[in-house]
Amino acid sequence: MAVGSVATQGRTVQQSWTRTGIGSWVTTTDHKKIGVMYIYTAFFFFLFGGVEALLVRTQLAVPNNHFLTPEQYDQVFTMHATIMIFLFVMPIWTGFGNYLVPLMIGARDMAFPRLNALGYWLFLAGGIVLSASFLFNAAPNAGWFSYAPLTEATPGCLTQQIAAQGAQAAAANAATSAAQGLQGCFSPGQNPDFWIVGINLLGIASLTGAINFVVTILRMRAPGMTINRMPLFTWMMMVTSFLLIFALPSLTVASALLLFDRHLGTHFYQASAGGDPLLWQHLFWSFGHPEVYILILPAFGIISEVLPVFSGKPIFGYTFIAWSGVAIGFLSFTVWAHHMFAVGLPPIAQAFFASSTTLIAIPTAVKIFNWVATTYYGRIRFNVAMLFGLGFVAMFLIGGLNGAALAVVPFDYQVTDTYFVVAHIHYVLFGGSVMALFAGMYYWFPKFSGRMLNEGLGQAQFWLYLIGLNLAFFPMHILGLLGMPRRQFTYPSGLGWDTLNLISTIGAFTLAFGTLLFVINFFWTMTKPRTASDDPWDAFTLEWATTSPPPPENFKTVPVVRSRRPLYDKKHPEDPDWRHEH
Amino acid sequence: MSAVIERTEVRQEHAEPKGRGFGWYGMVFFLASEAVFFANLIASYLYLRVRAGSAWPHHVGYTEIILPAINTLILLSSSFPMHFAARGIGRGDRKALTRGLILTVILGSIFLAGQAYEYTHSPFNPSTDIFGSVFFTLTGFHGAHVTFGVLFLLVCWLRSLNGSFSKDSHFAINAVEMYWHFVDAVWIVLFTVLYVFSLPGI
Repeated sequence: MAVGSVATQGRTVQQSWTRTGIGSWVTTTDHKKIGVMYIYTAFFFFLFGGVEALLVRTQLAVPNNHFLTPEQYDQVFTMHATIMIFLFVMPIWTGFGNYLVPLMIGARDMAFPRLNALGYWLFLAGGIVLSASFLFNAAPNAGWFSYAPLTEATPGCLTQQIAAQGAQAAAANAATSAAQGLQGCFSPGQNPDFWIVGINLLGIASLTGAINFVVTILRMRAPGMTINRMPLFTWMMMVTSFLLIFALPSLTVASALLLFDRHLGTHFYQASAGGDPLLWQHLFWSFGHPEVYILILPAFGIISEVLPVFSGKPIFGYTFIAWSGVAIGFLSFTVWAHHMFAVGLPPIAQAFFASSTTLIAIPTAVKIFNWVATTYYGRIRFNVAMLFGLGFVAMFLIGGLNGAALAVVPFDYQVTDTYFVVAHIHYVLFGGSVMALFAGMYYWFPKFSGRMLNEGLGQAQFWLYLIGLNLAFFPMHILGLLGMPRRQFTYPSGLGWDTLNLISTIGAFTLAFGTLLFVINFFWTMTKPRTASDDPWDAFTLEWATTSPPPPENFKTVPVVRSRRPLYDKKHPEDPDWRHEH
Repeated sequence: MSAVIERTEVRQEHAEPKGRGFGWYGMVFFLASEAVFFANLIASYLYLRVRAGSAWPHHVGYTEIILPAINTLILLSSSFPMHFAARGIGRGDRKALTRGLILTVILGSIFLAGQAYEYTHSPFNPSTDIFGSVFFTLTGFHGAHVTFGVLFLLVCWLRSLNGSFSKDSHFAINAVEMYWHFVDAVWIVLFTVLYVFSLPGI
């Protein structure tokens, strides 16, 4: 190739790197810019879903409340869960992974930069489709797992329903609806269609991201970074990506069959025509349980990066943390029917799924012990990132314990579809994923932006979060044991639920106040000059070996890795880690 | 700026390690996900069938299976020209590539035409009963994949006429070959579970 054309190529690359303005974001294929876009968009949806949570808690604050109508309540609680899971936690991990994985493994970019951009724009499209449903007063309203036959409607039923809207024969309409209900005319509106289309766009987005992560991690590591020297966040992103590749197709199949039932006249979930509503539950949960590990494994990765740095020690039991993540990944495909104990599975199936669910507690507990051991005899610095990290370990432990309780079949019968389940999911998702998210946010913010978030505001946010989440979610355990069903828009007084619900609502607003502090902290920090150093926390991994924020090419020279803590080795040439690794 | 160019070159030297390219790995994981997709469809069908027991409706007889059996042979035989096309460009033989691709397109299109004939002459439809739902959904998803494969092959064929592929640069051909063999393999399973398992006495 001629010298001139190399120079031209170089200029083109240089131009695309130094371009600024909106165009540079819309056209970018740089993993860091895409990562930042994922994080901004996902955080917007965190606020959106948070407002919905506040609406739900306001409605439930007192008995016999009519702040929301039942129809509005159904849409709001469904969208709260759908947004938090599919539009907040999943994409924010993709954002962190996008920004950090190539930096951590010493690569220039992801393996497929354009596919990476496609993934982000599909995610945004899915988010817009799901949110736009509110404009048509047709937000999904059957719960985030959209159980058939509740989401069913035969095509004939839909057209008759539409025709009947103009007709005056209201009584006749009600009679036909009742008759059609037997054939599955439960959701004649377009609410489930918005859910199906939005979720499938998000599914394709996640699949492209997952393939990209796996190929990047397997094929683009810097020289010397063997698989057993990868940062644990990278490990967990790899396991998560494998889970996505193998779990998402179940959701695609489930929702495609539902779409065909609704619009093409098939009968997959209609018992009256030879179908089976339980098929939906099997398909959905064989996606849905790997999904909960998709939501928490990257959090495990973040904690495994933050705790050692702020304890001034290498992680305790690296190999166990990495491979227990793999074990969780495999086991997560064998536990789906523990969501279905109450539907009447054969006893042998109940025994199997109860055992596998109990089994999955073992690799999870291995991680908890390793994190605790990492802090043991450490020189601990109680920065905000570390506080969130420690808060994560404590809160996730509660979420793990009440989750293990749900694996016990007789106990599960008692609390199925009550607030006990809501308590469990919020301890693992808020106490787990969200606490880890902020641990990671305070830890990597200097790398993302070149600025340090304010520690004082961060401390206040941490304590508001820790108190708020226990106020909001602990009473739900008791509410569940007292039999309060989830997803009901209101409740009568005198059942012993009033005070507990009020406490929970106060907790939700405490969390909202904590989130507000973070938003203030963010905007305040962003007005300041970029003064953060390359390595403000005295950290161990390669992302801190480059500038804050990193240049477009990430590293001036290709880093060479000889141990699990390459930056530590560089800073301590007198006693590098690789002397102790064999 | 010249420093930047040098750095880029350094990175590119290290970007792709020896062995198979990124694209090959990407295709493998994409097809793995596709395989799980079809596995879920087939598992749904078998689940419904087992749950229905003797109430399961049957529609396939020994005469109805003749057309899809011939169709199966056509689709399977299309893997040979595909293979020779990819082998050809591996040697740098562009003529073998162009011929192999167009032959694969023709065989794939005959398969689709056969499926269209079967659909339009079927005595049942997706809403007749649960077998109709299963039959049209599973063969329909597969047919959609074959259609996409034929389009993918056509684009590759047009590009091959322009001489876009060479011995050292022909990843699209490897990708379409992997995809086509995958779609073939899925059909063998679908034909077995949907047609053969539905014959009377089985």
